[in-house]
Amino acid sequence: MEFLFLLTLLIYLAASILHALFLATGIRKIAEGAFWATTTGFALHTILISLRWIGRGQFPMSHWLDSVSFLAWAIILIYLGIAYLTRMRALGVFVVPAAFAAILIAYALPQDEPGLPAYLQNYWLLSHTTLIFLSYAAFIAAFGFGVMYLIEEKKIRRKAQTLIHDHFPSLGSSDEIGHRCMVVGVILLTMGIIIGVIWTTYAQELEWRWLDSKIIFTLATWLIYVIQIGIRQALGWRGRKAAYSAIIGFAAILCTYAGVNLFLPSIHAF
Amino acid sequence: MDHIHIVGTSHHTAPLDFREKLAFSETQILQAFPLLRDQYQFHETVILSTCNRVEIYAAAHTTEGSTPLSDFLSAYHHIDSQTLKKFTYTHQDADAVRHLFDVSTSLDSMVVGEPQILGQVKEAYDTALAAGASGHVLNRLFTKAINVGKRVRTETNIASGAVSIGYAAVELAKKIFQSLDNKTVAIVGAGEMSELTTQHLVENGASQVIVANRTFERAVEIAKKFDGIPHAYDESLSFLVDADIVISSTDAPHYLIQRKPLSEVMKKRKHRHMFLIDIAVPRDIDPEVSNLENAFLYNIDDLDAVIASNLKDRKREAEIAARIVEEETLGYYSQLQLLKVTPTIKALNQQFQGVVERELQTCLKKAELSPEQQALVQSMTQAIVKKLLHQPTKNLRQRTNDIDGEHVQYIQALQELFALKNEENRSDSEDET
Repeated sequence: MEFLFLLTLLIYLAASILHALFLATGIRKIAEGAFWATTTGFALHTILISLRWIGRGQFPMSHWLDSVSFLAWAIILIYLGIAYLTRMRALGVFVVPAAFAAILIAYALPQDEPGLPAYLQNYWLLSHTTLIFLSYAAFIAAFGFGVMYLIEEKKIRRKAQTLIHDHFPSLGSSDEIGHRCMVVGVILLTMGIIIGVIWTTYAQELEWRWLDSKIIFTLATWLIYVIQIGIRQALGWRGRKAAYSAIIGFAAILCTYAGVNLFLPSIHAF
Repeated sequence: MDHIHIVGTSHHTAPLDFREKLAFSETQILQAFPLLRDQYQFHETVILSTCNRVEIYAAAHTTEGSTPLSDFLSAYHHIDSQTLKKFTYTHQDADAVRHLFDVSTSLDSMVVGEPQILGQVKEAYDTALAAGASGHVLNRLFTKAINVGKRVRTETNIASGAVSIGYAAVELAKKIFQSLDNKTVAIVGAGEMSELTTQHLVENGASQVIVANRTFERAVEIAKKFDGIPHAYDESLSFLVDADIVISSTDAPHYLIQRKPLSEVMKKRKHRHMFLIDIAVPRDIDPEVSNLENAFLYNIDDLDAVIASNLKDRKREAEIAARIVEEETLGYYSQLQLLKVTPTIKALNQQFQGVVERELQTCLKKAELSPEQQALVQSMTQAIVKKLLHQPTKNLRQRTNDIDGEHVQYIQALQELFALKNEENRSDSEDET
């Protein structure tokens, strides 16, 4: 288990380096290598999570390492999906190292293992958490595209000499794919929220608390993305404005995901 | 031994009106081949005639140099030899090989890295080959030159980066839109440059062209060329609502595309990205426009800067390419050396002698012979080697003088059958050190 964990980390590290090399050189073969390294890392990661699930007899979601590892897994899944659909590899430069670093940091954090109470061990929790984590991953991808958009836009405006040789996606691609990530994220998040609401309504063990800090932050995050998508359709908030929205949304997610858990009391462990 | 000669003229040495006089049409090339062979003793010729250069590559047994080639040129095109000498250059053997490699790799071209020349070299060679004018010397040389051209193209970035306004526009547009498919180009005003740029954009996928002009008739006229939609220019710029790429080149003394109306246009098109290219001097587009969100403005100087930077990169790549050419030229000659007759015969002799010597020593150890007897056996074995090799050696030398080129195949066969190649390489490297 330990060995598998380290191997996964090592492969993600290699994939991170390959992605950076690709961005520096633009050699397509390196990009393919980076893609396959990430895929291999993802496969090992999946096995790792499955083994942990089987070993504990419950969905592994009770401490930081599990939670962050699952979020990293979701990010890589979303990235591989985008890379497969668009043949674009530049996003990997941001998300693969981020996933690597996240797992590494979580690993270093103290690992108490309280285990989940029995009433939480069901498919409600599984689908609720999975959907919300996947939505986070989609929003993080949108954030990555937003950052790439801003970098590239600055270069175009400044007429930078390095412009022609860089291997970032074009403005149009970053904008469009980032937007789609947001739409997918909103759909997943909405589904996750709805499942959470239904669950708390029908499960007698759970108390329905509107004022839970996690719920408030989540709704705020949701609102940011919904407003951005709506105004984009109506008034054409695309390009830089969309990129800024993606970044603000990302900050909101950081608060919702980590901030609330570290600093505010909540019924949500994660 | 054959000598390779070149006489030629190019943009480096002669103005266009002189190059025109020296140019060969396809028919003239076919006429020239037998003349060069029968009257000027060049048994092989390839003629390369493009708008930037006219060059005759020829192989001869004689050591007269390239004078007969120049004589041919001046006689054929009726140019006095004095003028001809002033505008042409000649190269021989290694220099000629290097020159052809420089040509085929585009290092000698007006724009280094331009893609046409390799095709032109190949075409010139194919013509000569089909007409039977090229033989084993030039076949080997040109096949190699074409390979070197390809090698430089794959191993260096000599051909990357736009070096014309049109291509620079395409490259920049791809930074904004990824692909030009289904994009609309608007031309404001007219002019060769803007039409050329539009042409490049259309070739790269742009699907619709809008033409705006102060006079509608003129707009219709230009629109016809691109199957586009004509518009009369109006100050509200309403014709730009669907335009993703705008190329402006009018001779108007003031800004035709101002910030305020364009910001209305951007609003109407829901701020979809717009790439504006101002190639007019004085400028047509208010520089303030570049402060509008999702509108990107490049003027002629910006495009020139892109080109200059690309040219600088190409220059750096050209240095790498020059090293490849040097290496290939050396390689070409060391391989020629390998295919020479005398070293091959020598190597064959040595190999035979070596075998006999070893066998003799083993035999002499076993048999107890007197010194006289030993000497007798030794001289006998040497005589056997000499006699065995006498006929093949004689035949080989004869063929070298006889039919040109055939001996190369014999030498190759010998080297392969007796595995002589390694022997040769070793002695070669020893020579170098």
